[in-house]
Amino acid sequence: MRRYDYGQMLRTGFSYLVLSTVTFVMCFPLIWALSTSLKPKDEIFATPPTLIPHTVTLENYEALVTGRPQYFQSGGQSVDTGATPAQFFTRWFANSVIVAFGATLISIVVSTLAAYSLTRFSYWGRNIVPYFSLLGYMVPSIIFVFPLFLILVRLELTDTLWSLILGYVCITLPFCMWLMWAFMRSIPIEIEEAALIDGASRLQVFRQVVLPTAMPGIIAAAIFSMIVSWNDYLFGRVFMNSLDNLTLTVGVMLFFEGTHVDWGLLMAASVLMTVPMAVLFMALQRHLVAGFGAGAVKG
Amino acid sequence: MFRNAPVLSDRAVGILFILPFVGTAVLFMIYPIAEAIRLSFFSYNPLRPDSSAFVGLDNFRRIFADPLFWESFSQATIWTLTSIALQTLLGMSIALLLNQALRGISIFRGLLLFPYIVPTVVIALIWRWIFNPEIGVINHALLSVGIISEPIYWLSTPSMAMASTIMLNVWKYTPFVVITVLARLQSVPLELYDAAKVDGAGPLRRFMDVTLPQLKEVLIVIIVFRTIWTFNKFEEIYLLTKGGPGTSTFNLAVYSYEQSIASLKLGVGAATGVVMMVILLVGSIVYLRVSGFGKEEKSS
Repeated sequence: MRRYDYGQMLRTGFSYLVLSTVTFVMCFPLIWALSTSLKPKDEIFATPPTLIPHTVTLENYEALVTGRPQYFQSGGQSVDTGATPAQFFTRWFANSVIVAFGATLISIVVSTLAAYSLTRFSYWGRNIVPYFSLLGYMVPSIIFVFPLFLILVRLELTDTLWSLILGYVCITLPFCMWLMWAFMRSIPIEIEEAALIDGASRLQVFRQVVLPTAMPGIIAAAIFSMIVSWNDYLFGRVFMNSLDNLTLTVGVMLFFEGTHVDWGLLMAASVLMTVPMAVLFMALQRHLVAGFGAGAVKG
Repeated sequence: MFRNAPVLSDRAVGILFILPFVGTAVLFMIYPIAEAIRLSFFSYNPLRPDSSAFVGLDNFRRIFADPLFWESFSQATIWTLTSIALQTLLGMSIALLLNQALRGISIFRGLLLFPYIVPTVVIALIWRWIFNPEIGVINHALLSVGIISEPIYWLSTPSMAMASTIMLNVWKYTPFVVITVLARLQSVPLELYDAAKVDGAGPLRRFMDVTLPQLKEVLIVIIVFRTIWTFNKFEEIYLLTKGGPGTSTFNLAVYSYEQSIASLKLGVGAATGVVMMVILLVGSIVYLRVSGFGKEEKSS
């Protein structure tokens, strides 16, 4: 006859209880945002507040997604027709995607090449670069932002998406470099040497042997870089001027400038801003942990 | 393919591969930092760039004589120490909870790491919504349970605003501690626990004598890293309270921002940045010492 270990069962039950409570508390702000975003206007302010909406509506999302930028070009000048922030949402979303992808692409390419070079060839200074990038990745953005702004003014790049791509590279490159260096160091050189002896060229070895092996590291670096660029507020706030060119994070804060705050709309915007990163995170969670393991995270 | 044609030598490939990094780093890391240091010795108003003048150490004298600078400094210190203490304790406890062999644990693991990827702007928006004194759900819950009898003005009274920014920081970055500690916990050899059990050590003793010493190193690294970053954070504070009410949640980053943007004194802002960099350098040296970075290099 099977004997039940009641003590063990009690402990397991208790663990689940504690875990569920902690998880609920940690996720509560997000649950509440989602719940608010799905409520019709009058239910948002209902007392007592409802966790699960009585009426589920997508009107808040619809207002954000279907709103088109209400400006038109007239003789080279952009004319404001009194559009509300909500009408720029899709435009800002696209801007955010472009700058996050751009910065990530540059950081990944540059740091992967450099990490390979640093770990496989010997020349003067190859031990200084990792130290240097470690320092670079601890420098807070507030120190970079104004000098960089002045440089971008001279290059006449302010208020363009390029200014943000280059700005984010400042932040993402040092830690991509650090992560890729740590990762490349852990890949054994023997496989490459075998391929070289077989007559493959350096570039062939890099493309066909090194890159596939380094892929988990590259993915981890790319996710972190995407998160950092997607989430930034400071650079977008300082570098950009015109409504058309804002990124999501800066644009959405404009909702507070009106006379009354539309919380339903704001919570829908919050949910939509989180979704791309959440999808990335869930799809690539394992690699993210590898990145933490390599010690190259930013936060 | 011309197998015997002169191809790039290894050395040339190596240099070719590092060049983009060197170029980018000079342009976008070294140059801006050098520019920040140069700016800190100038009086510079972006609206009148032609009238910028070398002022020597005036900017530094100015910030060291400014009570708001010191207020920002001490508030940043309180903010940092409290946030780090709470994050470390909470993060370690959650990591221990997640390190159990339970069915479905990976779902909890995924959900608990979630706050780390949520944009700070989003967190600030949600925080302002749930902590709203009149219509927020937190006050409503506390009032209806009877814990408080009047709504708390979370973001508009100085001590509560500070507490709210700390809560935001702890909420967002505890997952960072969880994931790092968890990664380390999973590499603790199980034999150590078995040996301790044989010796008759209870759960608490096993934690103190086995787990904690194994975690010591990673905890020190986390604490140093997080201290540096937390001390210099800008968005978490600015987006939630703009440094207010009054100046009660200013830290050095917000101070620097306000000097540069609101007062258009880029030189003073840059001088604050330089002071922050000095603090950062000291922190980094501590980090390199405790992580034994140099030693690791020789053994590999």
